[in-house]
Amino acid sequence: MKIRLVLCAAGIHAALAAAPPVPPAKVVSLRVIPADPTLRGAGTAVRFLAMAKYADGVERDVTAQAEPTLSDPEVAAVGDGNRIIAKADGEVLLRAKFGGRIAQTRVKVVQADKPRPFSFAREVGGILTKKGCNTSECHGGVKGQGGLKLSVNATQPKDDHHYIVKGGVFQVLTTESGGPAVPRVDTKEPEKSLLLLKPAMQVPHGGGQRFTKGSPDYDRLLGWIRQGAPFGEESTEAAVRTESVEVLPGETILDANGRQQLVVLAKLSDGTVEDVTSEASYSVSDVHVAKLTPDGLATALQPGETAIVVRAAGHAVSKMVSVMSKPAPDYPAIKSHNYIDDHILAKLRKLNIVPSGLSGDAEFLRRVCLDLTGTLPPPARVREFLASKNPRKREQLIDALLDSPEFVEFWSFRLGEILRYRQRSTQLMKDTQLYGEWIRESVASNKPFDRIVRERIAAEGYAGPSRYYYELRFLAEPPEIIAEQTRLFLGRRIECARCHNHPFESWSQDQFWGLAAFYGSMVDLRNTVMDDSVVIDAPEAAAKVIHPRTKKTAEPRFLDGTPLAKEARDDPRRRLAEWVTGHPYFAETLANRAWDWFFGRGIVEPVDDFRSTNPATHPELLAAMAKDIREHGFDLKYLMKLIVSSRTYQTSGVPNETNSGDRTNWSHVVPKALDAAVLMDAIAAVTGVKEELKEGPMGVPASARAIEICPDLFSNKFLQAYGQNDRATLPEAKPQPGLAQALHMITGPTYSTRMLDDGGRIDRLARAGVTNRQAIEELYLTALARFPERAEVDQLDALMRSGASRKEVIFSLMWALVSSREFAYRH
Amino acid sequence: MDEIRHWHRRNFLRAGGLGYLGMSLPQYLRAAAAKEAAGAATAGRAQSCILVWLSGGPPHMDTWDPKPNSNFKAISTNTAGIQISELFPRVAKLMDKLSIIRSMHTEENNHPEGTYYGMTGHRPNPTMRFPSFGSIIGKELGSRNDVPPYVVTPPQSYPHSYNAGFIGPQYDPMVTPDPNQEDFKIPDLTLPKSLTRELIETRLAFLKVVDKRVRDKERFAEFASMDAYQEQALRMILAPNVRKAFDLTMEPPKDRDAYGRSRFGQSMLLARRLVEAGCRFVTAEGYEHSEWDTHFKNDEILRRDLAPKLDQALSVLVSDLDQRGLLKTTVVVVMGEFGRTPNINPEGGRDHYANCWSLLIGGGGIRGGTVVGSSDETAANVASRMVTQGDLFATIYKAMGIDPAKIYLAPGGRPIYIANSIGDKRGSPVEELL
Repeated sequence: MKIRLVLCAAGIHAALAAAPPVPPAKVVSLRVIPADPTLRGAGTAVRFLAMAKYADGVERDVTAQAEPTLSDPEVAAVGDGNRIIAKADGEVLLRAKFGGRIAQTRVKVVQADKPRPFSFAREVGGILTKKGCNTSECHGGVKGQGGLKLSVNATQPKDDHHYIVKGGVFQVLTTESGGPAVPRVDTKEPEKSLLLLKPAMQVPHGGGQRFTKGSPDYDRLLGWIRQGAPFGEESTEAAVRTESVEVLPGETILDANGRQQLVVLAKLSDGTVEDVTSEASYSVSDVHVAKLTPDGLATALQPGETAIVVRAAGHAVSKMVSVMSKPAPDYPAIKSHNYIDDHILAKLRKLNIVPSGLSGDAEFLRRVCLDLTGTLPPPARVREFLASKNPRKREQLIDALLDSPEFVEFWSFRLGEILRYRQRSTQLMKDTQLYGEWIRESVASNKPFDRIVRERIAAEGYAGPSRYYYELRFLAEPPEIIAEQTRLFLGRRIECARCHNHPFESWSQDQFWGLAAFYGSMVDLRNTVMDDSVVIDAPEAAAKVIHPRTKKTAEPRFLDGTPLAKEARDDPRRRLAEWVTGHPYFAETLANRAWDWFFGRGIVEPVDDFRSTNPATHPELLAAMAKDIREHGFDLKYLMKLIVSSRTYQTSGVPNETNSGDRTNWSHVVPKALDAAVLMDAIAAVTGVKEELKEGPMGVPASARAIEICPDLFSNKFLQAYGQNDRATLPEAKPQPGLAQALHMITGPTYSTRMLDDGGRIDRLARAGVTNRQAIEELYLTALARFPERAEVDQLDALMRSGASRKEVIFSLMWALVSSREFAYRH
Repeated sequence: MDEIRHWHRRNFLRAGGLGYLGMSLPQYLRAAAAKEAAGAATAGRAQSCILVWLSGGPPHMDTWDPKPNSNFKAISTNTAGIQISELFPRVAKLMDKLSIIRSMHTEENNHPEGTYYGMTGHRPNPTMRFPSFGSIIGKELGSRNDVPPYVVTPPQSYPHSYNAGFIGPQYDPMVTPDPNQEDFKIPDLTLPKSLTRELIETRLAFLKVVDKRVRDKERFAEFASMDAYQEQALRMILAPNVRKAFDLTMEPPKDRDAYGRSRFGQSMLLARRLVEAGCRFVTAEGYEHSEWDTHFKNDEILRRDLAPKLDQALSVLVSDLDQRGLLKTTVVVVMGEFGRTPNINPEGGRDHYANCWSLLIGGGGIRGGTVVGSSDETAANVASRMVTQGDLFATIYKAMGIDPAKIYLAPGGRPIYIANSIGDKRGSPVEELL
């Protein structure tokens, strides 16, 4: 095993992350969860789990063998499938024994003499969720279904109660109900309630039969209607509410045939808990990896990872469930370069996935050059790097690249994509240039990212960042701006809430318009003489932001509902900018985006879609990076260096037996398609012939590389075929193979006629009279940043011998190189 | 996301069957022929759609919905009870094959937004790019006989409107140059002079050597899908049927003349050749950018130029499709991004008008000789049976065997109807036409 101790960057700590192989028979510790729960009301039952941690770091569910005992049988009992059942007020210790270890949890019972208070959200909402009535495809759709509107997963119980008891559906543009309001309950003749007749199919129901007449759910709903269909105590201020939902145990890693009972706890505002495991609905994103019963029992199916989403009591939570591969007999000790590796390696170890070896020098060189500068290393640099014996050469290379002019060009391009630097046909060229220069200057000076964002959000006057606000020469609409900026800087997609409460998340329409109102003070001071525009905040002169349903002026409010103080309203965007860049979401979004830049996939994926139903693969790592980047003043170069110095980034792209299926744990580096512009520049670097860039309204200097040009309405055909992002919207899709590319590769000028141009590399090599072997070596170094292997040289040499002219065979070789997947991807 | 993964898996399997560049060219071609035989048309269901796009927005009262506020007379057609403008005497003789929707109501009154709306059924929104219905049809039905499923001829005015948006650039249209050009050919399908079939084989042999190392490392789904595209590209370039479909010189000169030797006429002819060869969706956009945007001298321009071209090419297209037995499998839609104002402005022109307008539709099992909906006295408002863009899409989808109620999941999990109607409601097929 080669361990390159010397490669660890100075100032970055190194640690042995992965434990040496130990048979997992030994139990290291035992715990009983939930920890110290409080139960309210006699008969309340909560499942418990006994979790044993083994020497391999994995916790396993041993509840069935854990021999539970209670210290006081008067207070509670154990029964009904590993549940603690409350009997009388008091405290009791629940003990479990396993593998020579003992663990306990303290259970408190309160108000055992009172019946459990009724909660509409839990009782009625729970049935509607469990029976699938309120999914977004059915009554949970924005405007409901068949005249009944429900919130998805009963997230908005008050609205649900209103629509069930009073009838009517949600309308996007008005608070009025569309159509006649038909109550779904009939308190005079409860059995005639539509809420019962429809799902029991006593009358026709588009959604089919959901339960039968006389079933427990039917009876519970009937009972509720008989009592007058109350909302319950949650309508009062002092009411007990479900504050959050937790899924136990935390991390879930299953053996190949492992099982784990999940326990879903509703945490109430009075400090008590309720077990909603059987009332929850479960969905598994990859049904090949694991399955879940309606009672929350997870069973492993095949190695891999899947997200599961649990919806209960008006909340949704998600988590990853991992199924480990079969144990690797000689799990190697792998040296960590920095804390990134500690997290990554620890999880791989638990999953029995062995990471691939450290990348070779050539592999690393091409990868890091493309990722940091979007540029292929020239052959001389490749030879020099491969020949160097300097033990610190990788670190030195990273530093050199971070300080290179190519870095500035490339990161101006990268930031230009997300900040949407583009020429619109109707916009002044000056606007675009000012904006582009601001981005470039920000990159060149390594401006802290929070400052970049503050400048952009609060931009006023003639300065570059204010140019962002003009779409088609008019100030963009506040709701569109806030949706985009929230996605970009806070990683959340709140645009659904523009028209209606977010269907999956807790974003409400009022929150959306509260944020949008921060942009409601912008005024465009148009100078018609100079044909120029200036944006300033002038609350008294601006058009108000009107909430579309209430038709009232929306007041600026932060996400948590705090209104912007009156005295701060002269400068709303500045206040918003400070709030955004200070928010915890901001740092984690940046860390995640940076991860995606270098690994081709976010820790949360898509990178701007953080939500409760889209779990992170490595939440602790993301949190650690977020903290780190904040402590380092949002220094982008620091963050990039941290990532590219990690063992994780420097891992080889060659998978091994244990990790070839892995796409989410970074056990090996997965190929990443080059961006259209980077690919075009790379081809030009190999052929020695510059691509003709079509002149748009911006004009392009002859020397410009593709990454320097500003996309406009008239994009280049090659760039379009390879999925250039035209920046009219935030980047959505990553480059994908397509037919247009395949056609272009055979007939397009980039891959054919232009390669033969006088002065190009083919021309030069043919004139210089190089041997086949020399040509092969030079082209390999140029295109793939590596020496050809012996077999490659031999086979290509043979092919070249059978060719007609020199130019022709060199052409064929070059075509093959630039058309190869090795070339078109970063490995 | 899942959509993409699924799609890759499909391609992976397909590529797996053929092997990574493991076939000789004759093998490719045989495979292509076998696929062609297997993909025989389902009887009675539309296989293709031609969208005749009238860029700029035609005045509905001067075309398919004659009214007293038009300066053109209404003429009778070969279908009792249906009258259209005197500007279209030849179309009038084919009215039994085409129907008119006189109650279109849409929401965008400017060209860029209106074009986007016309192609996607959505108003523009900077947080999301929606797919055009051509891209959706191409994706749903896939390629037939290796002909690109979605072609736009010639280049269009607001390119992003025609594209695939969030469903991915692989569903973008192939865009041809002006088919009326002297030396019209498709660069993507035309081998450079220096490149022969043998040379391609040689290059592929080089490629096989170069790419072996990376292929041995890992089976990567994106590589496999590129292989599948490469195979398709070779078949398209080398198989005669695809090249022929684009080769207008194979058409007898008198037939070319019949369509009209104009950008528009030849784009209509190309559309017919393409659907004959297997193309799923052709946008024939032969009029120049916003040519129907008659803010000035509406009547004069219409009579002199716009209408005669359309009358000629459309009537020839419909008859031609009919004679070749293609009309029953090809939906033909004739529309622009909106209609035009009931009033004539001081410049003698008509301005943009989305509130109420008309279109023609027929073929592919869609009933002809029918009028759907009506407008008021001056064609200013929909008087009965409003039809939205989403309803139109749903009608076309249904005729083509695509579930009109289908939903795509956009990034972020937002469900999007492929037939999106006003207020993000689901469009419904115009059943009286089916």
